[in-house]
Amino acid sequence: MDLTKLSPKQLLEIDACTRCGDCLRICPVYTQKTEEGINPRGKIQAMKKFIRGQYGLWARIFGKKSLSESELEKFSEMVYRCTLCGECGTQCPVSIDSRNLWLAFKEVLVDQGHYPKQLKLMMGNILKDHNISGHDNDQRTDWLEAMEDFPADRYQKERADVVYFIGCVSAYYPMAYKIPQSFVKILERAGIDFTLLGGAEWCCGFPLLVGGFRKEAQALFQHNIETVKQKGAHTVIFSCPSCYHTWLEDYQTDLKLFDSTQFILSLIREGKVRFDEKKIRVTYHDPCDLGRASGVYEAPRDILRSMPGVEFVELPNHRERCKCCGGGGLLEMIEPELAASLAKEKIKEIQATGADLLITSCQQCLRNIQSTARKMKIRLKTASIAEFVLTHMEENGVKAEGKEIPFIPGSFIS
Amino acid sequence: MNKHLIFYVMFIPSMVLFFWGMWFRIRLYLQGTIEGAENATPWRKLTILTDRSWQRFWKRPGWYIKILITDVIFHKRLFGQSFYRWLAHTLLVFGFIATFIVDMIKGFTTGYLVELSHSIPFFSFAHVFETGAIRPYLDFFLEFFSFLILIGCILAIVRRFFIRPQQLKTEEEDIVTLLFILYLELSGFFIEGYRIAHAEVVANRVYMANFTPPSANNWISFFGYFLSLFLKDITINPHFLWYAHVIPSLVWFVYIPHSKLLHIFTSSVTVIADRAKEKPHK
Repeated sequence: MDLTKLSPKQLLEIDACTRCGDCLRICPVYTQKTEEGINPRGKIQAMKKFIRGQYGLWARIFGKKSLSESELEKFSEMVYRCTLCGECGTQCPVSIDSRNLWLAFKEVLVDQGHYPKQLKLMMGNILKDHNISGHDNDQRTDWLEAMEDFPADRYQKERADVVYFIGCVSAYYPMAYKIPQSFVKILERAGIDFTLLGGAEWCCGFPLLVGGFRKEAQALFQHNIETVKQKGAHTVIFSCPSCYHTWLEDYQTDLKLFDSTQFILSLIREGKVRFDEKKIRVTYHDPCDLGRASGVYEAPRDILRSMPGVEFVELPNHRERCKCCGGGGLLEMIEPELAASLAKEKIKEIQATGADLLITSCQQCLRNIQSTARKMKIRLKTASIAEFVLTHMEENGVKAEGKEIPFIPGSFIS
Repeated sequence: MNKHLIFYVMFIPSMVLFFWGMWFRIRLYLQGTIEGAENATPWRKLTILTDRSWQRFWKRPGWYIKILITDVIFHKRLFGQSFYRWLAHTLLVFGFIATFIVDMIKGFTTGYLVELSHSIPFFSFAHVFETGAIRPYLDFFLEFFSFLILIGCILAIVRRFFIRPQQLKTEEEDIVTLLFILYLELSGFFIEGYRIAHAEVVANRVYMANFTPPSANNWISFFGYFLSLFLKDITINPHFLWYAHVIPSLVWFVYIPHSKLLHIFTSSVTVIADRAKEKPHK
């Protein structure tokens, strides 16, 4: 087993786990599948056993214990059935950075050839077509076609101060189209000099990192940074928390990076976005990659609190304790039933708030929650924060150049 | 034979084994990759990590010391999660650290400075630590902090074996670790009680620590004194008692790097690294 996939700190973290089991109570996957190996403690102990068998004191004296294929297979099954929500890390008494540890474990497993076969197809799509869905990458702005009007340049300029990085899910999955559709309108109405990258936008690399293919993701990082710089932009905005987090953590760039909620909030503070009063009771779900992973908790809340007529209620578990909806960590691709069972728990929590509408700032959370609600035949209103902001923007405020998307009560019903 | 000599004959190899064990683990951690120094040798990696840590520490030493006290020794996060666990853990951690510090002061002053004072009169102040006014306080605090460890250990045993929270999974290593600590504490207090109960043990200078005035034992060595009340009529070879406490104590040190006890060091690093991590912008 190649330990170079882990950092010295991560190898030390494996020894720091005291097996206290605090992570068991909060691991969303473990609450559904009560199998010891699947919880954070189980994964760390399994890795510890592998390492000790290969590099421990007894291994030094009596020789390395060969890695059992069946044990590796089982370990892979456990490691890949994780949403990477990272809640275990925030609650761990010894503060193990578990999210990054799971990513490193996946790299080790890829190195050993033990990973779900679905990931091969996904990797092929990304490396060949530069997007997760396997569509032609020039179709990245096809969601524009569903808008009533859009400029002839399809929001793609030669040069601009700001780049809006859409992300694969919003670009290719119709259920998430409203996010980029709304966000470009907000930027347009606020008078921001922005551009889309069109077919030159490649997958940010997040699915590869999450799958354990870090090395393969490097080319994508490089391409995206160069493409943004060619536009002369100094700022990149993301409506996908996973893209945002990947740029923030792995791109090592001097560009200014903003999640859409942070950018919208700055527009509100500058007076470029103003709202009409519309009475509604909403709740907000913190996407794991935006909240726990990137530390953005306040911006979406500040936006909602700044909107007249909006009554904001917190979910019982919110901010650092927000329960994962099941949409993360490629779980939906590996075991859709498990992802759906996590979404069911989330839906129960949302319903308990009595809110009229669930708002979140992640296309993947919206997709997973919405599709599960449909399967359960539950009427649940959901909206992305961009869509919600646009529908509440003041009619007589900053003039829109294009025709805006009208707010139709109930349009969020899935 | 002189107990000091016997002790050091056993202590030095134990410490060698302890440090070798720690180095064995550190060597394993150094097989990991440091970003930007992918091809560095383990020794180079160690230098890089030490330099980085040192530089970070000196940028805000006060902050790091504060984190060490609040988050490592007094485990702030655990306090918010469970008072019982926090109490047990803090009594153990604080007890060990405080005992170690007092023991170091006592050993350094009475063992080295007193010896040095025979050739360098400047160090004659150290006699106050051996037979003077400070000695009873040193002994009292040693007793008190060791007693805290004992209480912490009992609380941990009660939780693990009687309360048994659902998420707790007890393995052989957990049992060995807790019973080891319990044995060391009880054997230490037992030997102290025996010394108080049997004046001849002090008179014959059987043990290394034998300067405490017997008249003060009831408040200085409160738990040992309590035990002594039951040990007056019992006769055991005092040398055997000494070995039965000292040898396991040294074995315990050797055991640390290869056991769960290693988390004393590793989790201190993870906690400090987490608190020092640059928080992303909100």
